[in-house]
Amino acid sequence: MEIWRLPISASQRGKLISAGYTSLSSLSSISSSDLARELKVSESEAMNILKVASHSRGSETSNASCSIVEGAQSAWDMLHDEESLMHITTSSADLDNILGGGIHCKEVTEIGWSSLSLIVNSVLKYKLTTAFGSESIIFMLIGGVPGIGKTQLGIQVAVNVQIPNDFGGLGGKAIYIACIEDMSEYNRFLRKDFQECKIKMLPQDILENIFYFRICSYTEQIALINYLDKFLSEHKDVKVIVVDSVTFHFRQDFDDMALRTRVLSGMALKLMNLAKRFSLAVVLLNQVTTKHTEASFQLALALASAAYSVTARGIRNSSSSCKRIKMM
Amino acid sequence: MARLANLETEYPVLDSTVRNFCASHGIFSVEDFLIHDLYMLAAFAEQNNSSERLKEGIAQVLSVIDDMHQPWLNGMELLEDAKRNKHVFPTGIQGIDLLLGGGIRVGQLTELVGPSSSGKTQVCLRTASNVARNHMVLYLDTGNSFSPQRIAYFLGKTINPSSAQAKNQFLQKVMSNISCHSVFDIFAMFDVLHQLESYLRCQDGRGGCQMRLLIVDSISSLISPVLGSSSTQGRALMTSAGYLLKKLAHQHNLAVLIINHTVGGEGGYSKPALGDSWKCIPHSRLFLSCDRGSNNYNVSILRHPSMASGKAARFVI
Repeated sequence: MEIWRLPISASQRGKLISAGYTSLSSLSSISSSDLARELKVSESEAMNILKVASHSRGSETSNASCSIVEGAQSAWDMLHDEESLMHITTSSADLDNILGGGIHCKEVTEIGWSSLSLIVNSVLKYKLTTAFGSESIIFMLIGGVPGIGKTQLGIQVAVNVQIPNDFGGLGGKAIYIACIEDMSEYNRFLRKDFQECKIKMLPQDILENIFYFRICSYTEQIALINYLDKFLSEHKDVKVIVVDSVTFHFRQDFDDMALRTRVLSGMALKLMNLAKRFSLAVVLLNQVTTKHTEASFQLALALASAAYSVTARGIRNSSSSCKRIKMM
Repeated sequence: MARLANLETEYPVLDSTVRNFCASHGIFSVEDFLIHDLYMLAAFAEQNNSSERLKEGIAQVLSVIDDMHQPWLNGMELLEDAKRNKHVFPTGIQGIDLLLGGGIRVGQLTELVGPSSSGKTQVCLRTASNVARNHMVLYLDTGNSFSPQRIAYFLGKTINPSSAQAKNQFLQKVMSNISCHSVFDIFAMFDVLHQLESYLRCQDGRGGCQMRLLIVDSISSLISPVLGSSSTQGRALMTSAGYLLKKLAHQHNLAVLIINHTVGGEGGYSKPALGDSWKCIPHSRLFLSCDRGSNNYNVSILRHPSMASGKAARFVI
């Protein structure tokens, strides 16, 4: 039943099966007008179906001899590519150390921040991370209690990505997707600039290079992530995407848990795809919640059990002046 | 399973009279043939005018069906195949190799389950670097978690090179055996597996360095977005993905390693994701977990064809 594997809509699939077309080979020798007549669909739909079917059939026969599958890269080539990857600094030397130089492009990073210092042994976790060397962190997800400073980090990254190449930065633009209404963020953007006194950039230029999207519901969030593909093809100099509170719209009043898991994991895969294809870094900000396990309360990133593909997660402790990071 | 109309070019006996007769009983393809009562059909054919021709047509379709099933094998042939082809690949991690009695087995689908940061990708990278010394490896990556530096680190630990140049040459030779491909949705994975199937069919004929390990990291992130909605397509995709992987493993002598994550279960314990329908698809399932704050990992057997489930071991990466 190879028709199952074609990316076509359920109604088209149903029509194909009831007309007797259950395998790809049965679609090989029919013209689009005949198919349109048999399935009682429009000719353009039939042509679409045939195109999809011949594409998946064609991928079987056209097999390059040098690579096993199209688009695969050998590990040796990837090793050399990675050495030329740039980092985006977070303006905090310790955080940069833990992340192996900063936030990497082609990756999505998650960090969590909290104000309770229940979690211990951040030092050991730090050792673990350095033992991995320059571990490529893919998804950066930053979680924390609102107001602790995660937005600060998001904004700092959006500004730092614009540091020109001469000063060791990426010289790129940023996309900032915000779910929380906070007009004072604009002031913060301006204030950040004055710390970079070596770089002669005006505040207006910095703000111009940040594309700001505001979303009000989860459907807007999904639509925006789908739209980013087209946006990024037009704006190739975007180097980082910061999403403020990726899970904000999913926490309150969301009834269907299974739908939530599906949507979040699908969204994570799409962001991962964007990160890889356009070589950019993705930073997600999240909130923490307490998880009741074995009669103790532990901090966990919100919706962490909806385990969407995150490679590096960290929870940041701050107790008065001392700030620690724990990577999970 | 072709439509009867398409078969006419190959088997001229299936002409329009036969097809019209079949269509009058709602049979349009070979598949429909299988789900119909053949005795009734033959009885109707008797009563028809051109009964000889119809019976020939029916016999032809039945012989087409006969050609389609896998050949029968007896126990001795299976044993021969197992001894000759179905080797065991050590993962390079002592604890896991001891637990599994050598390592992961060719021809079987091995699943690594565990919560996040429990070492699943690390085990896969370690196994890939070990197997790549002599065979080719394909790593399907859904979360950009493939790390060539880590592979280089594992390989560097195991050799004692005389010079930097010798080490470089060794790294190049081994790492060129590992191919990494990113897939971000399940249809892309099916595409890749089909390409792989045709590659393996050509490979079986010639010698040289052959592909022996396929890693999918992680299959749960590909299946979760399609599973559970109101249509049943998600579950069908999941089961057909599982069977395709097992078929590749057995027919082309691959070891297949896949990664699954966990979800919350009864009483706060985590259980493997993808539900009960997936539970019986992999041949062996290993549950990994990490001791908080240290480099020690635990692995326990959830399911294995030849080991008792519940056996556990510790290992360090």
